[in-house]
Amino acid sequence: MIRIQDVSKKFQDKKKSVTALKHISFDVQEGQVVGLLGENGAGKTTLLRSIATLLTPTDGHIEVAGFDTVKDPAEIKKRIGVLFGGETGLYERLTARENLTYFASLYGLSKHETKVRIDDLALKFGMRDYLDRKVGGFSKGMRQKVAIARTLIHNPDIILFDEPTTGLDITSSNVFRQLVHQLKREGKTIVFSSHIMEEVSMLCDSVAMIHKGELICHEALDTLYTLENSDDLNYIFMSKLVRGGTHYAS
Amino acid sequence: MLLNIYLKELKDCFRDRRTLLLTVFLPIVMMTGLTLFYDSMLSTDGDDTYKVAVQESFRSEAEQLFAVSPNIVIETAENPEQAVIDGDVQTAIVTAPSFSEDIQNGVPAAISIIGNSFSENSSFAMNAVSTALTAFESEIISERLQSAGIDGSTVQPFSIEQKEISSDGGATMMLSLLIPLILSLAIGIGAGPAASDLFAGEKERKTMEALLMTPVSRTTLLLAKWLVISTIGVITGLVTLLVVSLEIAFLTENLQKAVNFGDQLPLIIGLALLVATIYSLFNAGILMLTSILGKTIKESQSYSTPIMMLSVFPVMIISGIGVNELSFQHFAIPILNLFSILKELTAGVIDYEHLALMLGTNLLLMVVFIVIGRVLFLKDKWVMN
Repeated sequence: MIRIQDVSKKFQDKKKSVTALKHISFDVQEGQVVGLLGENGAGKTTLLRSIATLLTPTDGHIEVAGFDTVKDPAEIKKRIGVLFGGETGLYERLTARENLTYFASLYGLSKHETKVRIDDLALKFGMRDYLDRKVGGFSKGMRQKVAIARTLIHNPDIILFDEPTTGLDITSSNVFRQLVHQLKREGKTIVFSSHIMEEVSMLCDSVAMIHKGELICHEALDTLYTLENSDDLNYIFMSKLVRGGTHYAS
Repeated sequence: MLLNIYLKELKDCFRDRRTLLLTVFLPIVMMTGLTLFYDSMLSTDGDDTYKVAVQESFRSEAEQLFAVSPNIVIETAENPEQAVIDGDVQTAIVTAPSFSEDIQNGVPAAISIIGNSFSENSSFAMNAVSTALTAFESEIISERLQSAGIDGSTVQPFSIEQKEISSDGGATMMLSLLIPLILSLAIGIGAGPAASDLFAGEKERKTMEALLMTPVSRTTLLLAKWLVISTIGVITGLVTLLVVSLEIAFLTENLQKAVNFGDQLPLIIGLALLVATIYSLFNAGILMLTSILGKTIKESQSYSTPIMMLSVFPVMIISGIGVNELSFQHFAIPILNLFSILKELTAGVIDYEHLALMLGTNLLLMVVFIVIGRVLFLKDKWVMN
């Protein structure tokens, strides 16, 4: 479970101060898939980075699997997998297997566990043919598969995806969507940000909408459709933006 | 864990053709060029000849005058000065048409030597001409005194003898400048790309975020990466020393004369390797900081390049200082102390106090760089773009 309590994040340098998150509060229940919606610069990545312990909130607290992101980042890191912002973050001069093996070693997996896990992920993502080829020559879709496999190498219970299908072709996007369905079936908790409403409405149990650092909506999708009297998420999102701007309390 | 990261980073670096090029190939090319250049500077074989332009009226006297100087070739020119300006000759002698007569008659005769002191060859030619004319002048004075019945020793109350304590014709001095210059440049250039790649490059490619998401502490990541930069520096340093040693042994004549350490050879080589290793650790600290500060590889390189250029300055400071004139500050100031200690070692001097001072200051600064690096690396601003 993820608990976000009154979280604010301010970036400050000598010249200016930017408040990226303003008093955000909501919970993500175990096994739930939550879509994070917002325009560019709304604060989605900042929130995901804060949940992932990469950023320290200026105010408020975030708990992941019962651990505080500031006090116990190492415990949280063992339990979550993160894939950021359309960037695969792979070592291009290493093969896919070497990339996965390296990250498995960083998560403390034994050699046997690593082998079993890589074989399992390679089968799941259809990566067997290019597992021993250098990542530098991969297509964007192949890279994305390896990056997702890296995110899941330690079999985390909680997974954060930041715009995971950005720049992917239809086939690769579908692979990702199938994967989320599968992970959901396995009981994983998933938070992912996206611009693609169709994807969110297809995959998510609930959505959190952020506008200019404020949470303007956090509802279960079914409830949201009923409340808004529409099942067009794009329409709901746009109308929320027009009405939004005031602090939302879930 | 540190070993895992270290080995992976090393493998990644050595798969980069740029790193291989800069750690192995470039040092070999650079060292060969510099070694042969320095060796040629020491050339004393007297093969070089210098052209001296004179007027037709002075040609026969000039040929007589320089008969004992085989490296001076006399050429006739209508305008000797113009011949120097045009670069046809290295120097020119201009005399009055009555020069020989004036000398015979005991009348003061004027003679001008024209050359270009910005040209090394012209300077050498001017010196050679000047020396020959001075000898000719002494000969005339001697003849005149003799004909006047005066003993020549009257105008030569004492004789001067210069003794040179260095018997290798400056080869040791040249080697003491060459080795540290090559070493500092090679270590800096060799480790540079890897350093930029390991921090700024990871930020640019977004692999840093994936790395930071693992339970590995940032300090472990920092130390492993610093060790990789150091290792590449050490490897480059060793390759460099090896290549230079082989080149000096097989490709040079003059520099070879400086390498005569006798029984001390293994010790001096061992100490040179130790010095190169410690310098690599210090250098890795600087490069690590510039890479942490850079958001991209390009930015990191724009920070590190001017710092690496610092390694050239000690040559200018230390070239005019003898081994016995080196003092505390020469061994206390980093980079300068690499040159100072290697100058001593090249001269066959092993001073453990100086070595301790050099190694101590480098290690101290290395620790300071790591502490600063850790402080920066713990801040989000410096690890994520």
